[in-house]
Amino acid sequence: MKIVLSWIKEFVDIEDISVEKIAHELTMAGLEVESITNYGEMFDKFITAEVIEKIKHPNADKLSVCKVNTGSEVLQIVCGAPNVAAGQIIPLATEGARIPNADFVIKTTKLRGELSQGMICSESELGLSNDHSGIMVLSPETKIGIPLAEALGQNDVVFEIGITPNRPDALSHQGVSRDLAAIFNRPMKTKNLSPERIAKRIEEVAKIAIEDKVNCPRYSAVVVTDCKVGDSPDWMKNRLRMAGMRSINNIVDITNYVMLETGQPLHAFDLNNLAKSSIIVKKANDGTKFKTLDSVERNLSGSMLMICDGEKEVAIAGIMGGENSEVSSTTTNILIESAYFDPGCVRRSARALGLSTEASYRFERGTDFEGTMYAALLAADLMQKYANGKILSGELDIRAESLTKKEVTLRFNQIERILGYSVPQDKVVSILRNLQLGVKEVTDKIVVMTIPGFRPDIEREIDIVEEVARIHGYDNIPTVHRVSSPLVSAVDDLEMVNSMRRVLIGMGFNEIMNNSLQPAEITAVTGVPVPVMNPLNAEMSVMRSSLIQGGLATVKNNLNAGEKDMRLFEYGDIFIKKGEAINSFEDFEEVTVVTMLITGKAATKTWNEEERDYDFYDLKGYLKSLLESYLVTANLGHVYKTESDPVFEYSIEVFSGENKIGVIGKINDSFSSLFDIEQAVFCAELFVNCIERKKDKLKKYNPLLKYPKIVRDFAFIFDSEVRFDVISDFIRKNSSPLLKKISLFDLYENEKAIGAGKRSLAFTLEFYDLNRTLTEDEVEKEFSAIIQKITKKFDAVLRGN
Amino acid sequence: MLNKISETKRQFFAAAEGIKNSKELEDLRIAHLGRNGTVATLFEEFKTVTPEEKRVLGKELNLLRQELQAKFDELKEVIESSEKLSAPKIDISLPGRVPNKGTGHIVAETMNEIITIFKKIGFSVVTGPEIESDKNNFEALNFPADHPARDMQDTFFINKDFVLRTHTTPVQIRIMQTQEPPVRAIMPGRVYRNEAINARSYCMFHQVDGIYVDEKVTFAELKGTLVHFAKEYYGSSVQYKFRPSFFPFTEPSAEMDITCFICGGKGCRVCKQSGWLEILGCGMVDPNVLKYVGYDPEKVTGYAFGMGIERISMLKHDINDIRLLYENDVRFLKQF
Ligand SMILES: [Zn+2]
Repeated sequence: MKIVLSWIKEFVDIEDISVEKIAHELTMAGLEVESITNYGEMFDKFITAEVIEKIKHPNADKLSVCKVNTGSEVLQIVCGAPNVAAGQIIPLATEGARIPNADFVIKTTKLRGELSQGMICSESELGLSNDHSGIMVLSPETKIGIPLAEALGQNDVVFEIGITPNRPDALSHQGVSRDLAAIFNRPMKTKNLSPERIAKRIEEVAKIAIEDKVNCPRYSAVVVTDCKVGDSPDWMKNRLRMAGMRSINNIVDITNYVMLETGQPLHAFDLNNLAKSSIIVKKANDGTKFKTLDSVERNLSGSMLMICDGEKEVAIAGIMGGENSEVSSTTTNILIESAYFDPGCVRRSARALGLSTEASYRFERGTDFEGTMYAALLAADLMQKYANGKILSGELDIRAESLTKKEVTLRFNQIERILGYSVPQDKVVSILRNLQLGVKEVTDKIVVMTIPGFRPDIEREIDIVEEVARIHGYDNIPTVHRVSSPLVSAVDDLEMVNSMRRVLIGMGFNEIMNNSLQPAEITAVTGVPVPVMNPLNAEMSVMRSSLIQGGLATVKNNLNAGEKDMRLFEYGDIFIKKGEAINSFEDFEEVTVVTMLITGKAATKTWNEEERDYDFYDLKGYLKSLLESYLVTANLGHVYKTESDPVFEYSIEVFSGENKIGVIGKINDSFSSLFDIEQAVFCAELFVNCIERKKDKLKKYNPLLKYPKIVRDFAFIFDSEVRFDVISDFIRKNSSPLLKKISLFDLYENEKAIGAGKRSLAFTLEFYDLNRTLTEDEVEKEFSAIIQKITKKFDAVLRGN
Repeated sequence: MLNKISETKRQFFAAAEGIKNSKELEDLRIAHLGRNGTVATLFEEFKTVTPEEKRVLGKELNLLRQELQAKFDELKEVIESSEKLSAPKIDISLPGRVPNKGTGHIVAETMNEIITIFKKIGFSVVTGPEIESDKNNFEALNFPADHPARDMQDTFFINKDFVLRTHTTPVQIRIMQTQEPPVRAIMPGRVYRNEAINARSYCMFHQVDGIYVDEKVTFAELKGTLVHFAKEYYGSSVQYKFRPSFFPFTEPSAEMDITCFICGGKGCRVCKQSGWLEILGCGMVDPNVLKYVGYDPEKVTGYAFGMGIERISMLKHDINDIRLLYENDVRFLKQF
């Protein structure tokens, strides 16, 4: 909301207060001043001048060379605008002027060889509008050589205020003035309206009927006849322009002006176009088409409130009028509508139509149901003054009984209870009176108010506490450092995730974060996705059912950027639809997962290191290390998925006890190719909630070994199909408890040396006993027994060493 | 034979003088003390002499062997220790083997820094679902249907009853519905807004919300807690101000500004020349919210606050495009 300083000064005397102070105090009272435009300063070194000669630039087709008279001298200006002509009064930026919308400073220079001592400006360059079609031409009566701000009637200051949805009253100059009156403890001035009336009565020319009093509880109207539609006075045009509105004609401008002053949106109907001179407020007929005054045909629905005449719709209530009753240059008789519409009704219609206007914006937030007649009369008064109108006697005003003011009681002690400090009672009462909140009874314990219509946000005691707090100032509330509360055991839902993150970061992984909104097709591969009803676009139409897709997209982006080697992880929620439709939280699953992803080179070639690609065993090792940090028991399952898995070429499930807690594998080529990835990607996904925390189970200390270990190696040639884990399990099962550890130290395949379909596996076995030193003999016995069993079981050949 | 013994001894000691390294020493050992060395040869010859000679020569021979061995041992020690000292030094300027630098995502890191500060002063950390009911996300938080306050948060709908939560505030409803006061928790998480994606806005971001409901909780204590947070996070010299604002679920409501830590309050591009940066919204829990969860607003009061993590991260690390946070370019990730 743009608030013009000279305009608010009509309501509250703040002449002695600086612009900065006003802005600061408004902000500190909840009307946040987002920017201040001081036109006097902005148009420093901009003056008015007359173009006295225009000739074509000798060296450029589109440029002209102008001579302009500034009153004190004649300057030469090179100008590119097509509309410049001798005789025009124009805004001239002279040496040193800063162009508002381009942020450059005017200097005398040569343009294509011709001297240019300034710039003739367009409205757009002056920041006045978006019009950059040509230079701005001022009215011919404008004096030459005066400051531009003065010529524009804009030697003024404009505050851009961000108005929160609870403060419709502040969408007007009057409302902002009311806050200033309370802030600076000064009286609010009111206007006395007693325009002259003619004898003819309004009832003779117009009648009003309201069929839907729920959605239109009040409708006030005044009629002004014999108007002459034309230009608005300059001061009004200037104020409208500073407030961000364009001048249309005097009648429309007056309705806008009154709205900006009072907050009450008005509509001016051409009375001669209203069939049977009547206004009927009722719901639309479903499916009716209606052309609004922006020339767009709208489809009406039965829930929309309409203003109709004796035959047809003439306006969508509170949103926009129709073309059929618009004020035109030939209009003479005007019916001024000033109504109160139900905020919810206006909002629903505006949203359904996708149409938001200055009027609907205010009605949606709640206008002053008491102020309708005042606003209509103010407009009539202005039409009399600036459109030669004649105001008919009497007014039409229909008001539903449901419109009543709310009564609110404040207990003084609640201020201290909520804010933590007490405000003196007389101060509280004075604030409430300055805000014109209808104080009607004050005792030593309470104050009772009848809340006026312009503050629809105030309904409860807490609302009054807030009014007192914001006007008295949040700065005055002490800052109490108190941390005291009964002991309750604190929980931390993120503890698990965060400790896993720390381990992964320590292992050299880079954490990524991807959008949870993903394309439908690739998301469906990992689970039935939950779709979003109103997505931004097809690429973000469903909630992710796995983090793998986002991870692969990340890999692709990095490959494009030339980064080929990655270790990435992400944690986040995934979503899988379970029911047909989502009617409850049981119809979908939302769980937290951690995904690890490696691709590219594990090591690059350096002076002391050989290059090596990442493989499955790298990720398996990382996963084991991560799991061992968190689990009492975790093991990789023996279920090898190979065929028909849409994501993995091969994979293993990860278990903690009986619970499946995740999966690890290699992404298959067809899935990778969806992301245009050609290099191998290995991926593990863990369900965080299923992981058993180490601290949840007590871990007991194992005594440190005091006796020597005895180590034995052997190597066998096996058929290649015999899996490592089958062999190692067999060794474990067929050994005594003295065998503590089996590790694989070599794997060798060579058709010539050991035959096709064969591989040599070399194991180290570690034996010890916690309570004694083993003898060589007993280990030797154990060792040779295992050798025999392996030879027999797997038909394996022991290799000599 | 005695002459041969003394000659061997002389040769050995003469040669020993010139030994410079362990290779020469080893050669000397092989020549004299080795299997076919001079001493061994003398012992072979010794077998052939008469018994009388043996008595004298045996003693001499043994003496020779001992002396030579002793000298050899002495030399070995000297040479080895000197060789250790003069061993070729490694080129310490060669690059080391550098493991990949792991990094946390700055949004998660920032979130954790904030969480840590509140944990220290007794806040629990509670999370909730990202697909939330319209009831919890709006209705329970005093957003009336058909009210412009809903426009403050453009919403992704799953259907008319479920939404992608637009803030983490609904988690406070979940906590209060399952727990009697006192309630003291922060609620970090991911939220969604149906906003066009550009340098300044993204369709999702992260928040940390906080709530404390108990008897006698006041606005003054809210200020105290948040000032403590600001000083912990932005430094003890930070200046602050609380401005009145509006949130449907708090009343009175405020926004907290701190002095711009980029320009120190002088005014810069980031703070739009104001010298202030808005960092969070807060207020006293609206009585309607307390009533909704079955608390008695005459008995308890509470405060709540919420802040956007991306904004804080971006300000802190001088990142001017929010999309960088979700593009996950490794070159970007490794900078933090
Ligand atoms: Zn700054």
